[in-house]
Formats: sequence, C-alpha cells, structure tokens
Amino acid sequence: MATGCQGFLGLTMEGLCQPPQEAKSEVTNQLLDLQWKMGMAVSSDSCRSLKSPYVAVTLKVADQSGQITNKSFEMTIPQFQYFFKQFKEMAAVMETV
Amino acid sequence: MAGELESSKSLSGLLSGLAQSTFHGHPGITEELLRSQLYPEVPPEEFRPFLEKMRGLLKSIASADMDFNQLEAFLTAQTKKQGGITADQAAVISKFWKNHKTKIKESLINQSRWENSLKAMNWRVDLKSQSKHLDLINAPVAIVELELGKSGQESECLCLEFDEVKLNQILKKLTEVENSISTLTNPA
Repeated sequence: MATGCQGFLGLTMEGLCQPPQEAKSEVTNQLLDLQWKMGMAVSSDSCRSLKSPYVAVTLKVADQSGQITNKSFEMTIPQFQYFFKQFKEMAAVMETV
Repeated sequence: MAGELESSKSLSGLLSGLAQSTFHGHPGITEELLRSQLYPEVPPEEFRPFLEKMRGLLKSIASADMDFNQLEAFLTAQTKKQGGITADQAAVISKFWKNHKTKIKESLINQSRWENSLKAMNWRVDLKSQSKHLDLINAPVAIVELELGKSGQESECLCLEFDEVKLNQILKKLTEVENSISTLTNPA
C-alpha cells in the first residue's frame, strides 16, 4: 500500500489513498431543497394566549449513496434570525477565500 | 399561622417553586417540600388549599399571558373576592409576574412545540486542496452542522456541505422567509 502510494501518486490520489478532506466529506450530505412555512401558534392547552410565530423548515437531503431524506425542524423568530445570520456570515467568508 | 401565610418572602419563594414545577418541568418540587421549606408552621391541610389557590392564579395569569393592566384588574378582582387574596399577596404576585413573565412564556411555547427544533449550529468554510474532481480544487465549501432534536430527547446531527452557488440559493430562500416575517410583524 505504501509503495503503491509512492509509485503511482497520480493514480492513488484518485483512488486508493483518500485525502482526509474527502474522507470527511463522506459524512456530509448535499442539500437538494429547502422548503419553509411560516406559522403562528395561536393557543394551546396550557396557554390560551400563545401567539407565537415560528418558521418550519424541511430540508431535502441526499447522502453519499444518493438516498434522499427529509429533515424538518421549527424555529422561533429569534432562532431563525440567528440561523439566517450564520448563513450570511458563511457567504461573506466564502467570498473572501 | 395566618401570619405566616401573609409573609411576602415565603410567598415569593412559593411562586418560584410553583413556576418551576408547573411551567419549567421540575417534578421534584413537591407540595411537602414547599411546605417544609417555606411554611413549616402551617399544617398540611391548611397549606394545600393555599397552594392550590396560588397555583390556580399563576396558571390563569400565564394562560392569558396577561399584560400589566390585565394583571392589575385581575388581581384587584381577586382581592375583593370571597376567599381571595390580600392586597399584599397581590403585590407579591404582580412583582413575581413582572420578573418571570418572559421565562414562563418561553417554557409554554416550548411545551407546545412537538417538532424538532434547532438546538445548535456550527459551521466551517474549507478550501479543497485536493479532489477527485479537478474543477473543485480551490473552490470554497461551507460545512454546516445542525443539531436537531425534541426537548428532553437525544438529538441528531445533520452535516451539510454547500458550495457558493448552493449557499446563495439558500440565502435567497431565507431572505424570502425574512420578508415574510417583516410582513407579519409590521403589517402595513
């Protein structure tokens, strides 16, 4: 294995010896779609006057094998604003590199 | 004994305990614990109705999410009612609600959310220095980790990768959400 890597560097880069960046990306997923819904929780058994707006998000995600799953979660407005801010910061960093 | 039920300090502690057990999900705060710690001189049979009265008041105030005018009107009515509360007790409840309203409301909102929530979010931007696909070399990628879960349950981690194009698509969608929030919160 070691001699193989030394002998056929070009080939092994692609196949046998996976660089760590690639290995890491095996656990990451690709986002195919983001669906959102905004709602208002109006009233509940414990609080008649709930009046709480929320953002519900469903992420359509493909893993490395191509399997597609949906992941849903809800955020309060401050949580959404934090979520949005993180993406804006990411975009700003990506522009500079 | 009657004097002890009048104590502002004990009542303030009692309301905190009730809020913990009723709204914040701490089942360990029992009737007996509250009595022995705050009203040791009051016999259980006298303490129970007092506790239930205070719990009932707190639940009504929280359920209606009363603002301060509503609270004043509600408490004044309670002081005039047969078997109601004293003016001093009303003052303690009013002060307690002012300090705890936000936290209690937050707990009630969380209790009524059954979907996963976003518990944490981490991200990192990488520059691919080596890749199977030559065109990806030196292209930045954002790696985002989302921790999703229901309250009190184990959460799952979702790891996503975005290139610049994908990230801009997401930003566009999230901008739509933000616009929708503005419309809802500041109706024209």
